[in-house]
Amino acid sequence: MKPIVSCKGVTKIFGKGELAVHALRGIDLDIMEGDFATLAGPSGSGKTTLLNMIGALDHPTGGDVLIDAAPLKGMKKAELSDLRLHKIGFIFQAYNLVPVLSARENVEFVLRLLRIDPAKRRRRADAALAEVGLTGMEHRRPSALSGGQQQRVAIARALVARPRIVLADEPTANLDSGTTAELVDLMFKLNKESGVTFLIGTHDPRVIGHSKRHIEMIDGQIDSDTRS
Amino acid sequence: MDSLKLLAPLAWRNLWRNPRRTLITLIVVTIGLWSILVLSSFMTGWMQSSRDASLRLLIAQGQIHAEGYLDDPNIDNLMPMPDATLKAALDSPAISNWVARLELPAVAQSEYKTLPVTLLGVDPDAERRISSVPEKVVEGRYLNDADDDSAIIGLNLAKRLKTALGRRIILMVTDADGALAERSFDVVGLFDADVGFEDTYVFTGRNALQAMTKLESKIAQIAFEIPEEQDLAPTLASLRAAAPGLDVREWRKLSLLLGALDASMAVTVYIWLAVMMVMVSIGIINTQLMAVFERIHEFGLLRALGLKPGHVLALITLESMLLIGLGVLIGMLAAVLTILGLQGGIDLSAFAKALEAFQSGDTIYMQFLPMDYVIFPLAVWGIGVVVALWPAWRAQKISPVEAMRQAT
Repeated sequence: MKPIVSCKGVTKIFGKGELAVHALRGIDLDIMEGDFATLAGPSGSGKTTLLNMIGALDHPTGGDVLIDAAPLKGMKKAELSDLRLHKIGFIFQAYNLVPVLSARENVEFVLRLLRIDPAKRRRRADAALAEVGLTGMEHRRPSALSGGQQQRVAIARALVARPRIVLADEPTANLDSGTTAELVDLMFKLNKESGVTFLIGTHDPRVIGHSKRHIEMIDGQIDSDTRS
Repeated sequence: MDSLKLLAPLAWRNLWRNPRRTLITLIVVTIGLWSILVLSSFMTGWMQSSRDASLRLLIAQGQIHAEGYLDDPNIDNLMPMPDATLKAALDSPAISNWVARLELPAVAQSEYKTLPVTLLGVDPDAERRISSVPEKVVEGRYLNDADDDSAIIGLNLAKRLKTALGRRIILMVTDADGALAERSFDVVGLFDADVGFEDTYVFTGRNALQAMTKLESKIAQIAFEIPEEQDLAPTLASLRAAAPGLDVREWRKLSLLLGALDASMAVTVYIWLAVMMVMVSIGIINTQLMAVFERIHEFGLLRALGLKPGHVLALITLESMLLIGLGVLIGMLAAVLTILGLQGGIDLSAFAKALEAFQSGDTIYMQFLPMDYVIFPLAVWGIGVVVALWPAWRAQKISPVEAMRQAT
């Protein structure tokens, strides 16, 4: 199996001089195709920072991240946008749906950016919503959906463009235990049946319990990387 | 085009996320454009009324003089009555009316006072068609014919001379021999115009004045009226061709004050446009900055999803274009309705005394100027969108992770 993501000596320093915070201290990590990996660690250990680097949302101070063997260093903003659009799906803790768009429009938005024709777009968006169990709720705006339903829309949005990897940062932090279990089952099922690669930053033991690979971070470094 | 299809519905819906703020911006843009359009219509109406009143009084749309007369209006710079060629040009369809006048500097004397005046020998029949002076006679009568050797004077001049209707005044002018000619005239009519005009002009029959000054067939000016302003330039050209030795001028060159007022009206409207644009721009920048900073997290999200920085700039600019465009449409509609509602004219009779100086009459008729509805809306819309580019530029510049971190 080839790595989808390769981190080569990635460092990230916020601030300068005495105020400098070393968030990442030389991370070397490969995420393989089909991984269902969790990234855990105490607050401030660098989980979110690492996910941001892998998601091409932020630049490392040192080292480089490669997505499908393509180094991110030196890419222009528009190229990074294209890379995120084509290769990465995001699921955030706060759902982060566009409030003025319906569930279907939120999912379709990424397909619109990919310039997929309207009929195909509609079919794929509805299929993605069906996959996360939201058939019949396509027209609802985020404000008319529960937290769990919003997160399902976010998952559908992350998956609809068939990305190479889905990055999820604390996706269950705002959900009750019942909804968490449903979502974890859903993500696991998508990984198993569709082969979607997941890298999930989380503290949640219920999520960690499902993972096939668990990475533990402490003080900006990888403390352990185990496969079950 | 694809980007527009993607962003336009999003931009439109974003406008209504904060209806109060959107309405405030709409009101600012609407009032701004409405005031510019209505002011322009009012100023044009006022200027036109003022100009028409002034031109109808004496100047008309243009005049012909002997070369040098306007610089030195004395008896040596007079001209003969129009010859056949000039008469044919003056009788052309482009000219609705024309008159020949003898105008001489004179001195008016009553039992109590002596004052300098301008004495005008006129043909009353022709004057009735071209000048408003005959209608302004408020006491007594106007002149009967060109041989009428009575005098018509202004109300204020009568007051200053301490004379009255039915009394006599003595008028002194230089005659053809360079000698002083004087005669007493019956005051048969008093006219009411602005004070300056009343003090300056005394009217009598042209033939009577020519006989008194031994200036038979000599005149000082031909004033002509053109019904359509756009015909002025070609008419001036044809008159110049018909009278090569004479000085043919349009009204702007005859009354510099009127010409300057005409030009300054446009300047006034543009100054108001600038003032309004500053106010509208401040409102738009304020609104758009608030709208952008409230949604900075969302822009971060959109960038994370794959929206390019240029798309963020386009989205916010599109929102400004829609918002200002809507305000512009409402402002135009409000201005049209206002002008239609005031079609009967604005009664300013309460300010009649103050308006006398402008000779604008008591009622101002708003003018509908189609080009205003192209130029000013485009200016407001264009400038509004340009000033909104700054908040948009700031939003697209911020990195996605920075944007998402700021709001969480």
